[in-house]
Formats: sequence, structure tokens, C-alpha cells
Amino acid sequence: MADMLSTGVSGLLASQIGLSTVSHNVANVNTDGYSRQVVSFGARLPEGQSGYYVGTGVNTVAVQRAYSQFLNSSLWSASSGQGRATTMVSLTGQINNQLSGSTNLQTSLDSFYGAVQDMANAPSDAASRQVLLARANGLATTFRALSGQFSALSGQVQQQIGDTVDSINSDSQSIAKLNGLIRSSSATDGTPPADLLDQRDALVKKLAGEVGVSVVPQNDNTISVFVGNGQALVTGTEAHALATAPNIYDATRQEVVGAASGNVLSGRIGGGTLGALLDFRGNVLDPAQAQLGRTAQAMASAFNAQHAQGVDLQGNVGGTFFNVAGPTVQGAATNTGSGTVDASISDIGALTGKDYVLSYDGSSWSMRDTNGSTVPLSGTGTSADPFKAAGLSLVVGGSAGAGDSFRVQPSRNAADSFSVAITDPDKIAAAAPFTVTAATANTGTASPSVSISDGSNANLFNASSIVFSSPTSYSIDGGAAQTYTPGQPIVHNGWSMQLSGAPQAGDSFSLQANSNAQGDNSNALMLGKVANLGVLDGGVTSTGRAYSQLVSQVGSAGSLAKDDLTTQTAVYSQAMSSQQSVSGVNLDEEAANLLRYQQAYQASAQVISTANSIFGALLSAVRG
Amino acid sequence: MRVSTSWAQQQSVGSMMDRQSDLSDLNTQLSTGKRINQPSDDPVGAARALDLSHLTSDTAQYQRNITSANARLGLEDQSLSNTSDVLGRVRTLLLQAANGSQTDETRGDVAAEMVQLRQQLLGQANSKDGQGDYIFAGNRTGTEPFASQNGVSYVGDAGQRMVAAGSGLQVATGDPGSAVFVDIPTGNGTFAISADPANTGTAVAGASSVSNPHASPSAWDGGSYSIVFTAANAYEVRDSGGAVLDSGSYDASNGGSITFRGAQVAFSGTPAVGDKFALGASTKQDVFTTLDNIINTLRAPNGGGAAMQNNINTQFANLDQAIDNITRTRGMVGARMNALDQQSGLNDDLTLQYKGALSDVQDVNYYDAISQLGAQTTALQAAQQTFTKIQGSKLFDYLR
Repeated sequence: MADMLSTGVSGLLASQIGLSTVSHNVANVNTDGYSRQVVSFGARLPEGQSGYYVGTGVNTVAVQRAYSQFLNSSLWSASSGQGRATTMVSLTGQINNQLSGSTNLQTSLDSFYGAVQDMANAPSDAASRQVLLARANGLATTFRALSGQFSALSGQVQQQIGDTVDSINSDSQSIAKLNGLIRSSSATDGTPPADLLDQRDALVKKLAGEVGVSVVPQNDNTISVFVGNGQALVTGTEAHALATAPNIYDATRQEVVGAASGNVLSGRIGGGTLGALLDFRGNVLDPAQAQLGRTAQAMASAFNAQHAQGVDLQGNVGGTFFNVAGPTVQGAATNTGSGTVDASISDIGALTGKDYVLSYDGSSWSMRDTNGSTVPLSGTGTSADPFKAAGLSLVVGGSAGAGDSFRVQPSRNAADSFSVAITDPDKIAAAAPFTVTAATANTGTASPSVSISDGSNANLFNASSIVFSSPTSYSIDGGAAQTYTPGQPIVHNGWSMQLSGAPQAGDSFSLQANSNAQGDNSNALMLGKVANLGVLDGGVTSTGRAYSQLVSQVGSAGSLAKDDLTTQTAVYSQAMSSQQSVSGVNLDEEAANLLRYQQAYQASAQVISTANSIFGALLSAVRG
Repeated sequence: MRVSTSWAQQQSVGSMMDRQSDLSDLNTQLSTGKRINQPSDDPVGAARALDLSHLTSDTAQYQRNITSANARLGLEDQSLSNTSDVLGRVRTLLLQAANGSQTDETRGDVAAEMVQLRQQLLGQANSKDGQGDYIFAGNRTGTEPFASQNGVSYVGDAGQRMVAAGSGLQVATGDPGSAVFVDIPTGNGTFAISADPANTGTAVAGASSVSNPHASPSAWDGGSYSIVFTAANAYEVRDSGGAVLDSGSYDASNGGSITFRGAQVAFSGTPAVGDKFALGASTKQDVFTTLDNIINTLRAPNGGGAAMQNNINTQFANLDQAIDNITRTRGMVGARMNALDQQSGLNDDLTLQYKGALSDVQDVNYYDAISQLGAQTTALQAAQQTFTKIQGSKLFDYLR
């Protein structure tokens, strides 16, 4: 006969397991990644009598976690997105802070050009010249400070890349270890232990926040984790580490590589903190540094050019006012030949903010930009006929091996190296170099303007007289007759004279050095105009505009990152809510379950007590 | 849908954090008064604000330039005014000296005062500005422009300093001494007349003028001619080769005017036969030479005759040209200061406009921000109250 006592005991035990599970759920209500567990019961096999069956109680079939693979996967991918957005907001926030702080380049530019104009108002005043030099140094300091802040940020990003890679490696190892535990437990017990699975899922979620991963479940209850284009992080019980290694062109720049393979993964990693760090470095910080460098180059190039058109207080042609570094060329670490590349800027207006790679295939050179697009080269690469592209002039020397390549960064170091070349206030070239007088008897309409075309010409300041024998023919200092083409300059002794209007036969112009003219501010006025002079982008963008472009570029990145964070947070919230609606612990529910199992337990206890009293009644009847 | 207790709590906390972060942003906006505190707050606006502040400081610099230019022009004007006074005094003295009642001695006294005046004039021509720069030296501001040795020579240049008064507007802030004191036309500006020192008659050349200057070919052509009196009442006009070009009668009682090729000269007195007057194109003579000539004329012994009158008349014309030149220069200085004032007004307007635009771009709208502050505070309080309400109702609370 069915054993009432053992049936009661089975109920008691089942309720106990129910109660334990409820306690476990309640205890883990705040455990990250915990999935609530559910007990399932089944009726025991009945005892067959002749013609009917009598039940024998309850069996606990399973304690399982409430879980959905699909919801978990979407949570992981949302976690990647959110990790990326959070890091991006923090990084772009830092660079935005740097540009909104006191080191405002526009203010420095304005006060520098203000000093230029003050100097133009009193060109012979030593104080105004001194102030101009001080402001120029202030401007240089601002360029270097901004560049320094960008470099510091770059160093910080590099540090974080290293830290994140370490953290990814340690998480991969933990996942691999858990894979092993889960595999052996499920082999022994048949079912995988829910809490270990939860732990592993929580680690995958953390890993996904660090780097975008794809997860592939295997038949033996282990999972494989891949990153980028199929670089394995975890397979079975094996973890494959990532590492950082120096960039092939720049040993100070760390790239993410597979530790075993050495394959560079930097370009292929998206999502997570690491993805954000690499994305920020490549798409926000690098362009910002390049744009700042381009601004510095534009400033130096335009101001130096105008400065060389004047003469200083000693009557010498204006020298270099600002020093700035030219393009940086770095050969790949893998280069086999002895080739060298010299780069200089040939056309500031065509300069871009991009980096370029110049490679040699054994017979010819080719150039690509950072996006991989080919940039056509003109010229042959010799110093007489250099390669020209994107405003750069490139001279290749030595013998490069096939497959050798060089990276050219046109303006990366410009802002960092920006400095004032002049220390003596008298060396500021405020005056025009020449005075040109048209003879009073001239009958033509030509009016001359002279500029310096070669400041190093030894005869530059020799007095000259230009006499026209006909509207199309002139001679200089009684020399041979030369043909005058309207619109073409007359070049002699390193100066270049442009005539507006038409000369007539007999017209003459005399040119002499503008000596002793310490009150002349002609060139200072022109220097003041450089402030609004279009230099970059084909002579459209002024230095100040280039800086506003930088600000707007960095601002856009920041604003985009903020918007992205809002979106990603919403996506993450949604994924989390869905996942938690299945796997999360609800205390009200657990309280109800607690009551349920408590009642069942009490009832089963009552069954045992009843069985006992029935048995007692039988015994007393026998004792009778 | 099932709600996970822990996640629900996290979400409530998260939404409170969001509200607090919004409030903190608003706080920053309200306390700085700026809507854009970082470029990322409004990338386009941040760039625009930079451009506008650049324009504002550009304009402020133009105003500084204008102030400095006005100071320089003011000094020049003052100096020109003094020069004008000196030359006015010279003119008065010359009128006095030309009077027939003067003697060699009184003319000598006048000449002595004129020597003083010439010194004053030299002082004005060599005057300096506040920075010790010579005003009338062109660009050679470090060198005394008028060196007084065997007459006065100009060692400055013809440079003229300009100032940037607005975008695209440059105004001259000075005039070279050559234009003010040196390059002064002689005679009436077109031609000058001078008596031959060998003249013996009493004919004196007076006012001269140019009539129908454009009526070619009878117009004044800039050549050198001489008017030769062939009798007390007849004259001939000869060219430089001595060929007679014209002749006519001279009648002193009827204005004594002789007209030739558009040049008209009024003579007075009676010429002796053979008296000559040279008529030539106006040249340039510096004001110091004019003064020296006047002084020498006044100092000449046995003066008072027609020769002296002729000399005085010649230098009178030159002196008047010098006075005219100073007046004209002052007029230009005034016009420049006027232009600068106008530009300054324009710059003020522009500054106002730029500042308004800048404020539109970057300043916070207080009404908006404060009403947002109220709304956000309410939202935060609501989130807090909801949290405590929800957290307070748990089934476990009833299991006692």
C-alpha cells in the first residue's frame, strides 16, 4: 500500500527545496547578473494496484534559472554600445573642456594682432615692438599649451588602452576557467549549474562593455568569444590574450594586437570601452591635433611670408618671425631598404588634415591617405622635380626596398614646435623695403608696387631706374631693352615690380632702398591684415577660422557622443528591462512563493502527523 | 510584465541622477550666464561665437587705432595752426614793410623780427609727437627733417603713415614735410613773374592770374617768356629765343594789365625802355627760402624803390602760396579726423551689433532657463517621492 508517511515526507522535502530556492532568490536580489531560479516538481511514479494506481508523492525535477539566450545576447550588445558611448562622452568631454578653458587660441590671436596694429600706430616706439614680441610669445605658448593638452590626452588614452586590454585579458581568462568548470559539472550532473552560468554571463556582459564581442555557444555548454574580425578571445578552456604593440611607423603609439599572432586589430575593434578609445584617438584626437597643427602652420606661413616683405629697423629684410616644424616622415619598422623621404610644404593652401602613407612597390612610389584612397603623385621624386600631392613636396632618396613605406604627417608636430624666432624688437620688419617714385613727367597711367621676390639677393637694395622706351619695352639702369608684357612683373635684383595701368614711352620709375624710415608702418599694416587673410583650403580659411573649425569639429564630436549616449542608454535600459523581466528577482513574487511553500510544507507536516495518529489509532486498537 | 525589484530600484535612482545632472547643467548656465559652456553644447554656435568675438576685438582695435590716429592728427593740426599764425604774422609785417613810408632802418627792424619768426617756423617744421617722432619727417621720423645750414634742406622722405580705421579703410595720419613746407608752388601756382634786376623804371608787376586756362592754343603753355617794354607805353612779348610773339600798348592808368597766352599781369608805374620782366612756369620753393628772400629784400640797402617792390610782390605771391598750402593741409587733416570720427561711429554701431549677435548666440535666456529650472526641480521631486512610495510598498511588509 502506498506509504502515506513517505508521500508526506516527499512533499515536505519538495517544499523545503522550494523554500531554499526562494531564499536563494531573495538572498541574490541585488546580485549582478543573477537569474532567478525556479523549481519544477513532478509526481512520483504511482504504485499499481489491481485496476488502479495510488500516488506516491512528489519529486523535485529541476531547479532551473529563468533565462533567455536571445534577451541575454541583446543585453550584451547593448552593453557594448553603452560602454562605448559612456567612454566616448567622457573622452570628448575632456577635449571639449580643454578648448573651453582659458587657453583660447582666438583670444591669443586677437591680442597678438592687436599688438601688431598698435605697433603699426607707433612703429618706431620700442615699447610697442616689445609688447608685440611678448604677445607673439603668448600666442606661441597657447599653441604649445593646446598641443600639450592634446598630447596629454593622447597619453591618457594610450594608458587606458593598455588598462582595458589588461582587463579584457583577465576577463577572458575567467570566462575560460568558468567554461572548464561548467563543462565538467554538466558532464557529471547532466545539467549545468545555474549559478556558474550566471557568473559566466555576467563576465561576458562586462567583457562586452569593454570591447564588442560575438559569442558562440558550444555543445559542451562552453562558449567561444570572438572580437573584431574573428580574433578569438576564448575558445573552450583556453583564453587568447590581446596585447599592445608599437605602431609600425610610430613607436610611441600603441596599437592593439593579438598577443600570439601579432595581428594589428586596432582598426577592426568596435564597441565597448576599447572601441571608443581607439575611435576617439583615430577620429577625434588625431584630426584635432592635425587641425591645430594646420592652424599653426597657416599662422607661421602667412605671417612669415608678409614679414619677409618688409625691412626691420636696421634696414634688413624681415627674417623668419615664427618657427614651426614641417611635416613629419616616419619609415615603417619593417622597411628593408635604405630609402629616405624628405617632406616639405609646397602649397599651404592645399594642405589637408590627413596623414599619408608613401609606399614603394619595387619599381614605383604611390601614396594613400589614412582612409586608404590613392592620392595621385606628380613629379618624379627627385629634388629637382619632387613628388607633389596635397600641398606636400616629397623627395625620395637612398634605395628603398620593395614594400617599404613611409608615413607622412603634414602638420602633426607643428603646434607643438611653434615658437617665436625673433628676440630683438628691432628685427620686426614694419617698414616697406623700397620707395618707388614715378617721374613727374610720366605720361602713362602706370603706378608701380614692388615686393621682394628673393630677399637673399646681394643687390636687393641697389637703386635702380626703370625707363620705358615704348609701352612694351623697358630698360633697367641703362641696360639692354627688355620686353614688357602688361600684367607681368618686372623682376630685377631680387625685387619684383608690378605695374597697374599702362606705361608710355619715356616714362620712368626710380626705386631705392627705404633707408632710415623708422616711422614707416607700411609692412606693419600688411602684417595686421594677415589676421583675416585666407590661407588654408585654397586661400579661403584664415588662421582664426581654422581654429573655429577645430572648435566646431571637437564640439560636434562631443555633442554627437552625448546624443549617442542618450540613445545607447535607452537601448541598454530597454534590453535590461526585457532581460530582467524574465530573469530578475521580484520580491513580491518571492514573498508569495515563500507563503506558498510554507503552506505546502505545513500541509505535508500535517500529512505526516495524520499518518502518525492513524498509526497510533491502529496500535491502540491492537493493544485493545 | 514582471518587474525586477533591483532593476526597478536602479532605474529610479538612474532617473533621479539624470534629473540632477540636468539641474547641474542649468546651474552652470545660470551662474555663468552662458548657454554655451563647452563647444559640445552647440558646436556651430561655439564656432560662431569665436568668429563674433574676433570681429568684436577687431573693431575694438580699430577704435584704438582711431584714438591714436586722432592724437597724431591733432598734434599735426596744432603745429599747422601755429605755422599758420607765424606765416600770418610774416604777412602782416611784410605789408607793413612794403609801405613807402618805411626807411632802411625800420625795414631792418621788421627783418629782425622776421628772423625770429623764421626760427619759430623751423621749430614748428621740426616739431615732435609724444613719442619723440618728428611729425613732418615722412617716414624718417628719427631724423630732424629740416636741417638749417646754408638755408634749410629737407632730409625726410615723402612717406605718409597710414592707420587701419576699419576693415578696408586706411586713413593717412600725417603729411611729409616736403608736401607741407617744401613743395610750394611759386607765383600764382601756374606761372611766376620776376623783374629783371637791371630795370631802371618804376614799373612794378602786381597781381597775376590765368584766364581761360583750357582754351588751347591761346592758353598758357608753361613756357618761358619775357615782357620787354619798348617804350613807356608799349611792350613786346618774346620767347626764350628772343623772337617777338606779341606786342601791345601799356596804360598804367587803365589797370596796366598785360595779357598774353592766358596769362594776365597787372603792372603799375612807368617802365623805362628796355625794362624786362621774366614770365615762367611756376616752380617749387620751400617756405624758408621765401622767408630768406623776404628778409634779404628788406635788408637790402637803399630799398624802397621799384626793385624792392617787385621783389616783395614776388615773395608775397610765394608767401600766400605757402599760407594756402598750410591751410589746405589743415583742411585735409580736418577731413581725415572727420572721416575717422565717422568711422568710429560706424565701429561703435558694429560693436553693438556684434555684441548683440554674440549675446544671441552664447548667452542664456534667463526666462527660459529659470522656467526650466522650476520644471526640472519639480521632476526631481516627483522622482524622489515616487521612489519612496514604491519602495515603501512590499508584500514582505505584510508578512508579520
